[in-house]
Amino acid sequence: MDEYVVSVISNMGMISFLALSAYLLLLTGEISFGQQAYFAISAYLSAMATAMWGWPLWAGLLLGAAAAAFAAGLIGVLTLRLRGLYFSIATLAFAEMVRLLFVNFHYQVMIDGEPVGPDGAEGFRDIRWIFEHNVSAFEYMAIILAVLTVVVTLFFIAERSRLGSIFRMLGEDPLLTELQGLNVIRYKVLASCLSGFIAGIGGAFYAHFATYLEPQIFNVMLGVHGLVYGLIGGLGTALGPLIGVALDIGFLEAVRAIQGYRMIVFGGLVAVLLIFMPRGILDEERVHWLRMTWRRWRNAAR
Amino acid sequence: MLRVEGLGHHFDGVEALAEIDLEIAEHDVVGLIGPNGSGKSTLLNMITGIYKPSAGQIRFRERIISGMVPHEIVSLGIARTFQNLRIYKRMTVADNIWAAQHSLPGVSLRDFRSGKQDDQIEQLIDVVGLGPRRDELAQTLPLADQRRLELARALVRSPDLLLLDEPAGGMTPVETQSMTALIRDVALPGRTCIIIEHKMDLISALCGRICVLNFGRKIAEGPPDDVLKHPRVLEAYLGMDGARHA
Repeated sequence: MDEYVVSVISNMGMISFLALSAYLLLLTGEISFGQQAYFAISAYLSAMATAMWGWPLWAGLLLGAAAAAFAAGLIGVLTLRLRGLYFSIATLAFAEMVRLLFVNFHYQVMIDGEPVGPDGAEGFRDIRWIFEHNVSAFEYMAIILAVLTVVVTLFFIAERSRLGSIFRMLGEDPLLTELQGLNVIRYKVLASCLSGFIAGIGGAFYAHFATYLEPQIFNVMLGVHGLVYGLIGGLGTALGPLIGVALDIGFLEAVRAIQGYRMIVFGGLVAVLLIFMPRGILDEERVHWLRMTWRRWRNAAR
Repeated sequence: MLRVEGLGHHFDGVEALAEIDLEIAEHDVVGLIGPNGSGKSTLLNMITGIYKPSAGQIRFRERIISGMVPHEIVSLGIARTFQNLRIYKRMTVADNIWAAQHSLPGVSLRDFRSGKQDDQIEQLIDVVGLGPRRDELAQTLPLADQRRLELARALVRSPDLLLLDEPAGGMTPVETQSMTALIRDVALPGRTCIIIEHKMDLISALCGRICVLNFGRKIAEGPPDDVLKHPRVLEAYLGMDGARHA
């Protein structure tokens, strides 16, 4: 497979985790501009684990994602009383704090005579796990896609479960949901933790894919992209954010003819969609229509 | 069953309710009426824990519930509907009714949408007349059906105390009649109920007792026929002149 194609697909896979994490919060009615913080926390921590402490990738990934989930849970608790714009601003502020923290974060150890570890604004170089373990770009892409498949499958299972239903209830009307006897606070914090964990998986993969981290990567534009993918693709199904990712990275970035105009086309697409399809291409109505059509078709075929 | 004692509430200095006493026995059906802004919905909001009282207390089965959070209060067996209709518009009729079940003990994750249809829920959907529309999104239902859906959702938790806030609000006379029958035949048997409504036909048909609020205070209470002739009630509803002419 062409190296370029492999890198585009890997990119799409990693950013899909960020998009799914923002999507999960969108379901519960919260617009977070700060999911890049969890992506960053896990990227740094997992890279420290593999490059500095000699952990295997899977353990670094779990540690990073768990730390991201913890941070997200904490932010979830602190922002419980905030709704709408105020929540969005709080998440944005937190993400910038995390980014600035990494600008000032120095922690290096000597390995083979070379300093390894985060060096503030200079970044974190030589995250070499995939080279040291002879994992090819294609194999790494396969690992990313396999984990993504597991996460998306879990989303589908959750959508059909009570938990998925409760998240959607929260998104539509938190007060009404509280009056169905559900502890809204608990589910909000849970959603927050899960979203942090999912973003964290993407961050850990990213660190080892890029082999180099710098705080500037995790700026607000990363968060905005992650957020917008769900809004473009649609909030009716977990495929929505993946469609958003495919449209942006798979189409706009990969088609070289429009490369220089990518952000203009993307921005225009977002504006048009938000006006005409405020909940995205596959919104609840279309997903419901598809489901009913499929059911009719299946019943007729019997 | 429900005892409201000296209840008061104010919003930023504006008195919404003051010195409300109300006692409701098991299986009572009480109508709560009064002009717009008289504090009817505020009272329901306080019973369900959405607002905290600034004075007085509310007891449900001798337990003080004022101060508890809404999800704890409804778990004691209280359910309500809303004047401004609250349903999950982007969910189907069936999912809306399931939504009320999620917090009940004994409802497992697997029961939900696993193909197994809960008899009680399906029966309820049929009884309120939404059977043919069970898989439609709630937002596509006409208003009267949305009100029926809200009623069904309140009933699915088998509450002991049911609070209905303008169940026939915005309905045509024919729809109001069918809603009245639905409440009488399905919602009320074996239950205690408070009904807020401006449509006096519905109130007279269903309620054994009426409590009238005006400017946040109780101005009359008693059997419908007496209360509706009460001079202070006529004054509150029709103004001084109306009361004189009536």
